[in-house]
Amino acid sequence: MDLQSNPETEVIVENGGQHAATAWIHEHSPRELWRLAFREDRLFLILSVFIGIFSGMAVVCFRFAIDWSRLYLLGTGAVLAPARMLLAPSLAGLIIAFLVIHFFPTTRGSGVNQTKAALYIFNGNIPIRTAIGKFITSALAIGAGHSLGPEDPSLQIGACLASLLGRKMRLSRDRMRLIAPVGAAAGLAAAFNAPISAVLFVIEEVIGRWSAGILGSVVLSAISSVVVMRWFLGSESLFRIPTVELKNPTELIAYAVLGAVGGLASVVFAAGITTLRPKCKQLPLWTQYLQPAIAGLLIGVIAMLGAPQVMGAGYEYIDQAMHGQFTWQFLAILAGAKIIATLLSFVSGTPGGMFAPTLFIGAMLGASVGGVQHVFFPHLTGSAGTYALVGMGVLFAGFLRAPMTSVFMVLEVSGNYSIIVPVIVANTFAYVISRALQPIAIFDLLTRQDGLELPSMEELREEDVLRVEDAMQPLDGPVLDSEKTLDQALLQLDGTGPEEVLVRMNPSGWNTANKKDLQTLANEGKGGSKLGSLLPIRQVPFLHPDHPLEIALRYVDRWPVVPVVSRADFRQLEGIVSQRAVLERYREFGEG
Amino acid sequence: MPETQDNKAKSPMLARYRFYLRQRPALLVVLSILAIVFFLAVTGLARSYYDRREFLGNRWSARGFADLKAQNYDAAVTDFRSALLYARDDYSYQLNLAQALIGLNRTGEASAYLLNLWDREPDNGLVNLELARIARQQGRTDQAIRYYHGAVYAAWQRGQENRRRDARLELIDLLLENKDQGDAQSELIALAANANDEPALQKKIGGLFSRAGDYERALAAYRTALKTNQHDAASMAGAGHAAFQLQRYALAQHYLKSAVAADSTDSQSAQLLQTTESVLRMDPFRPQISSVDRTKAVKDAFATAGQRLASCPLPDKGTPGPAGTAPSLNDEWNSLKPRITTAGLSRNPDLADTAMNLVFRIERQTSMVCGMPTGTDLALLLIAKLHEGS
Repeated sequence: MDLQSNPETEVIVENGGQHAATAWIHEHSPRELWRLAFREDRLFLILSVFIGIFSGMAVVCFRFAIDWSRLYLLGTGAVLAPARMLLAPSLAGLIIAFLVIHFFPTTRGSGVNQTKAALYIFNGNIPIRTAIGKFITSALAIGAGHSLGPEDPSLQIGACLASLLGRKMRLSRDRMRLIAPVGAAAGLAAAFNAPISAVLFVIEEVIGRWSAGILGSVVLSAISSVVVMRWFLGSESLFRIPTVELKNPTELIAYAVLGAVGGLASVVFAAGITTLRPKCKQLPLWTQYLQPAIAGLLIGVIAMLGAPQVMGAGYEYIDQAMHGQFTWQFLAILAGAKIIATLLSFVSGTPGGMFAPTLFIGAMLGASVGGVQHVFFPHLTGSAGTYALVGMGVLFAGFLRAPMTSVFMVLEVSGNYSIIVPVIVANTFAYVISRALQPIAIFDLLTRQDGLELPSMEELREEDVLRVEDAMQPLDGPVLDSEKTLDQALLQLDGTGPEEVLVRMNPSGWNTANKKDLQTLANEGKGGSKLGSLLPIRQVPFLHPDHPLEIALRYVDRWPVVPVVSRADFRQLEGIVSQRAVLERYREFGEG
Repeated sequence: MPETQDNKAKSPMLARYRFYLRQRPALLVVLSILAIVFFLAVTGLARSYYDRREFLGNRWSARGFADLKAQNYDAAVTDFRSALLYARDDYSYQLNLAQALIGLNRTGEASAYLLNLWDREPDNGLVNLELARIARQQGRTDQAIRYYHGAVYAAWQRGQENRRRDARLELIDLLLENKDQGDAQSELIALAANANDEPALQKKIGGLFSRAGDYERALAAYRTALKTNQHDAASMAGAGHAAFQLQRYALAQHYLKSAVAADSTDSQSAQLLQTTESVLRMDPFRPQISSVDRTKAVKDAFATAGQRLASCPLPDKGTPGPAGTAPSLNDEWNSLKPRITTAGLSRNPDLADTAMNLVFRIERQTSMVCGMPTGTDLALLLIAKLHEGS
């Protein structure tokens, strides 16, 4: 409620204290309090909790659906029947293709990118049909053994539910834009059972900026969804975490090697997806009906050849790898087979996520590298579980290119902070290698392949920022002191320098004066007066050298010269910026 | 017409309802109601989901138990792995899976499961015992001993005393295998103190005491076993062996004779009995021996020693002493030989002692140079040991 524009308020101002009581009563009336309580920013927070609750329940149902489809399609045992291995993913692929082409075309592609598109392009709108389609097709695909994970669909289901609730609540456009990421965080948190990682991922990969308003909503929705999820599925983590410790700092070299191997694997994985996906999309339309089925058949063949672990999300096998139940040779085979299986599933357009496969590949690769290192350096104390955990973070950093999330994900999943140093070392190596060999992150590549131009969070993070110091120039001429007389000031000016001069005010602040105006004042006989008393009362804004240059744009059109002062001493002039200098700097920057 | 009028009458009411329903507080109330309804629905769904999982877990585990019982380890591994899909942290499934893996000799995988279980319950006897066995198999003796101790003092679900005792028996066996006689003896004493009179157990204890070199306790354990089962050949053989080691040859003869009579295939006992009887027969210092027999025994022993010297020539060097180089055993035997006659021994009773002293020295020296003798030479050596220091 804008008081200035309220006619009642204006009356109060005119009639004085008599109406003050009436105003207070009005402001504290139940109706006003009601309105205040349901102000949009507060409503947004309440809505975030509801988004979390609904997303949590949706993700729980999604998990049930995946499990049920697995039981009915692949069987109830740990050892799969060969016929089921081949038939289940193939037939499911046919049904999925039909559903996707005819009923749910928006379920293809990455949920992360679709949430970003909702944020940046569609004003927060995601059709609920997308969630329904994602739920059905992803549950069928993952349950039937396609090498995909439930996290990305969960994220998108959360975002869709949030968008629906936002629309029903008729939120403003600004709030609507932000509602999809809030739902995405809820969905991801429930799928991962890791609220901190989900919040970080959404901030790092979807929103790209930290602000108190959005952070509160994202955290609330993530927490409430995790609470709901734990209510139904229990609080145990996705894997049983083995004892983790770093006894000898020299072992960090081993983790660095793991980081390098993981970085290279990430590049291979990403290159496979970005090369094959457009080729599959370019094939004739009728082949789209068969692509998921063929992918499913090939995954079945991989499973029959001795790696049934690649089917589905594979969390139970991550758990086994962590507990040293595979040899390092088999772990390496599993990592390679999973890359192929996930490539097949993803590029064929089968809906599902890449988080779980990424973790699977990372865990297998990590445990395998750990195993090899133990062969050659038996004194290393890191267990297979430790290397597998670090490996998961490595692929997360290298392939998904979410370095912060990758570190916190491992910490949150393991619940052990002693692993932080190996994780940071390995993830840094993986991230740097992946960044060097594949400059554009996988999410951005997929977006561009889909013909969308969404902001790249990685590029935003690493974008060069122009600062005031980049456009700052030394002052050409003297700085006048407000305590000096006009005559003294004119003497100091000595007829040289620019027309507009800076005046240092006492005790603080800055002003400007025009030479001609000063001369006119002197001619009027005010030469003995102090300069400060002659100047109009106004404060010229000042900047610091480290301010972003865009702040200078707020002032340079109104003030011909804006002083740039030291942060330590606001009276110490470092230089000046002018509109011309700022624009010149931006032009140079734009030209590269 | 009446319908239209009715619609008209309803429409402002509907509009009002819609207006209220579109108000944010009302929407929040609707959301809350929806949340409760969905929550109840998901609860029902979850119950059905968990019931199904429990059913599947039980079904697979039942198959697993049956396969494990039938020692069909391969199938048992698959069954328990399947059961664990539905109850990942189930202690019993994991333990049984580990046992099936041990059955398949996949000890690496088994120990991964067992170590997890140990982390959860360090006091579980079976987990400790299985870990001890794996560690023993892999040659990690210290760890094996630690886990065996864990098993001995741990809690067992059924038959705690017997399971603890069995674990201790395995521990003792390991200690003996590693020549740690002292610790083995301590464990054995503790075991014997708590053991009942069951013959099989006492026989086992007796055997372990024998291996630990504690023949007195071994003999006692065998005797306890024989109290209940007087005709047990193995116990008699064990008792005979222990008595033999204790140089109680008459007792040894008694038990060994009974053992051989009870089990004629026991060649070891038969051989030991033969040696025992030789000792008893050849010992000239045995009590209540007639002078004729004694003379004969000395003469036989002296002749046997001479043969031994001939078959195992000793270095032809005397021992240097203060009065010059002492004569060699061969020289001594040759110089004494003419005097070892029935008449000579009857005339000079001390000559028997001198002769036997030389016999004992010859047997000892030759056993050092040519290894342990057999037959009568062995009997003489044992007689030498029997009268050492007398």
